[in-house]
Amino acid sequence: MDGDEQRVRFLSLLRPIERDLESYSRRMTFDRRDFEDALQNAVLRAFRAFDRYHDDASFRAWMFKILTNEIFAINRKRGRVAQFEIAVEPEEIEEFAGLEFGSEVPLSWETLADALDEELLAALRNLNDSERAVLLMRAMGDLRYREISECLGIPLGSVMGNLSRGRQKMRDTILRARKRSWL
Amino acid sequence: MKCAEVRQFVRLYLDSELDNEHSFEVEQHLESCPECAGLFEAEKRFDDRLGRFLRGGGMTRPLWEKIEAKIAPPPFTKLRRLWPVALAAAIIIAAAGMFFAKSRTLDLANAVEECHSAYVHQITTPEFSGAVPEKIAQQFSGRLDAGAFAYRPSEPAFTSSGARLCHVEGVPVALILGRCAETPVSMIVLKKNELDHFPRTKRKLESGDPIACSRSGHFQFAARVVDDHVICVVGDTPRPALEKLLKTVHRTDG
Repeated sequence: MDGDEQRVRFLSLLRPIERDLESYSRRMTFDRRDFEDALQNAVLRAFRAFDRYHDDASFRAWMFKILTNEIFAINRKRGRVAQFEIAVEPEEIEEFAGLEFGSEVPLSWETLADALDEELLAALRNLNDSERAVLLMRAMGDLRYREISECLGIPLGSVMGNLSRGRQKMRDTILRARKRSWL
Repeated sequence: MKCAEVRQFVRLYLDSELDNEHSFEVEQHLESCPECAGLFEAEKRFDDRLGRFLRGGGMTRPLWEKIEAKIAPPPFTKLRRLWPVALAAAIIIAAAGMFFAKSRTLDLANAVEECHSAYVHQITTPEFSGAVPEKIAQQFSGRLDAGAFAYRPSEPAFTSSGARLCHVEGVPVALILGRCAETPVSMIVLKKNELDHFPRTKRKLESGDPIACSRSGHFQFAARVVDDHVICVVGDTPRPALEKLLKTVHRTDG
């Protein structure tokens, strides 16, 4: 495959996920300059390594992994060190398995005003790095637990635990907003 | 599966992390349990709402245009990617250049190579030994003389099995077939004025070099002018040995 064919193929895979990559980068860095740098570096790095990408792997997961590494590199440069080395604790899995999705869950999210987005953004900022990365990779990247585990270099149990806590905090934010709207 | 058990699997089910067997059991339970089905539906709507928020915000088109422009391979990158082709082309050009240079310098070497190759492969055999038969001499057409067949190296290692008349590029030549330490060596002798047919060799010999050397195919070639003849020796032997042999060539007829 020559250079032009490779570029065309790379772009054909990249374009459908550009929006998600941008949102992910934006949500992970909270800084315009950083999110642009991370995005650009990741795409260029991926293109340079494209001959090592195999069709049997998910391009989406592959790109999110590269982008995540770029974001972490930028975070390290900015002194924002992600803490991902979390030991697997059995209670994490139990906590995840035992989550109660009972009557507190509202049935009509659509009724919430867009103003909620600001609160969700604040809630997202308040997640720790691990919770935010796992949540975003799952919700935006559609990455499997195993892929997230490999990408972040953390145990599968930590992926599940962080995902569970991250979702719960975001869920709490929505619930609080809805309760306020009822008052 | 009971309700408590099914609710433990809600996230794994919605994240498509459950195996087929458990997924099937969950689905069966949801069909028959409106309460659990409601919980699953609520959690799905939570996912949708969260996803809408997370994926929200438009795409920055100029940013992507800038990024996409950067992955267009610049000319030097294209060249770098094409380096194997460029290298191959360079080798071919160099080889062609060398070949061309050789053929430019020693066109006679190329011409006589075929004669020697035929000898090595026993396609060409001697026609006579000793004096040139009249029948052969009649074919000189004034462009060769019997004296051309009288040249021999004085090198003791050289032995001749005979000679024959040949034509190289239409030029009649004396071909003396011999061996030097078991290696086939051909000696080709032509009239000096026939060098006009081999202008590169002629220029080389007239440039002051007493011996013109070259490699032609598998064989080494060396030539020099002796009186009014051009003596060539060809063989798969080291060039110094061939040059040494050539220097010993002299007329044996007087």
